[in-house]
Amino acid sequence: MNYINSYCHISNSAIKINGTISNSYEAMPIDEVIKAIYLSLDLKYSKFHKMDQLSKIAFLGIELMKQANPEISKYGENDIALLFSNSKSSAATDIKFQESYANGGIPSPSLFVYTLPNILIGEIAIRNKWYGENMFTVSNLFDAKYYAEYANILIKKSAEAVLGGWINVNEDKIEAFFFFVTKKDLKQLNLPLNTETLDKIYKGV
Amino acid sequence: MENLKATLKEQIIERLNLEDISVSDINDDTALFGEGLGLDSIDALELIVLMENDYGIELANPEEGKEIFSTINSMADYISKNKK
Repeated sequence: MNYINSYCHISNSAIKINGTISNSYEAMPIDEVIKAIYLSLDLKYSKFHKMDQLSKIAFLGIELMKQANPEISKYGENDIALLFSNSKSSAATDIKFQESYANGGIPSPSLFVYTLPNILIGEIAIRNKWYGENMFTVSNLFDAKYYAEYANILIKKSAEAVLGGWINVNEDKIEAFFFFVTKKDLKQLNLPLNTETLDKIYKGV
Repeated sequence: MENLKATLKEQIIERLNLEDISVSDINDDTALFGEGLGLDSIDALELIVLMENDYGIELANPEEGKEIFSTINSMADYISKNKK
C-alpha cells in the first residue's frame, strides 16, 4: 500500500495545501497569480521568467509542495517519478505561437519550445535534478484510476516516490492539482493511494 | 550609437523576459552569453528574430552570430553598419 503524503490545489483565487487554504485572494488573471506565488516563495530562478504559463504553474506547484513537505527534497535524483496529465495540452501556448507568425511575422523560438505540454516535466526535472521516470498524458478529465494505478506500478517497479499533477490553463483560468505519493504514511494523513481517495481530494470533498 | 545601445538593452530585457535584470546591469561590453548575462541557444534565436523584425537585418550566415551577439557593443556596431 502506498500513501498520499501531501497535496496542493492552485486556482485563480486560492492556494490550498492538504485541503486547507493557505492563501486566498480576489480572483486574479493567471499572470498575476503566478507573480504573487513566485514572490511569496522568494525564488531567484532567472529561467522561470522564460517559461510559459503551464510550466510556470507546474514549477510553482512543486515548489509549494516542497515547502509544505520538505521530505520531498530528501529523495535521490532517480527516486522520484513525475506523473503529469491535463486536458488542454499546450493549447494556450500553441495559440500564442501561431499568433507570433500569423501576420507575416517570424515564429517565436522561445514560444515554440513550449508547444509540447511535457516540457513542464523537463523544467521541474532541471530545477530539482530529478532524473527518474516521467510521463505526461492528455485526457479529457482527471482520471484518478489512471493516476493511482500508474503511481502504484512506478513505486513497485522503479521509484521510491511519485509526484503527480493535473494542470490546465485555459482562457485565463487555472486548474492545478499536485500530490505526492510514498511507500509510507509519513505525514499521517491517512490517505491510501487508490482511485476513491485520489478522486476525493482532487475534488476537495 | 548610444541611443541604439540603450534601446538594444531594453529590447533584450523585454524580448528575452529577463525580469531579474535591469538596463543598468548590462554594460556595453558585458558578454551576453556564457559568464555574462547567461543567455542560451533559444535566446540566440530570439536575437536573430529581433534583428530581422526591428532592424531589417537577416543574418545570412549563422556563424556570424557568435561574434555579432557577443556584446551590446558588437550588436550596435553591426546594426549601425547593416540596418535597412
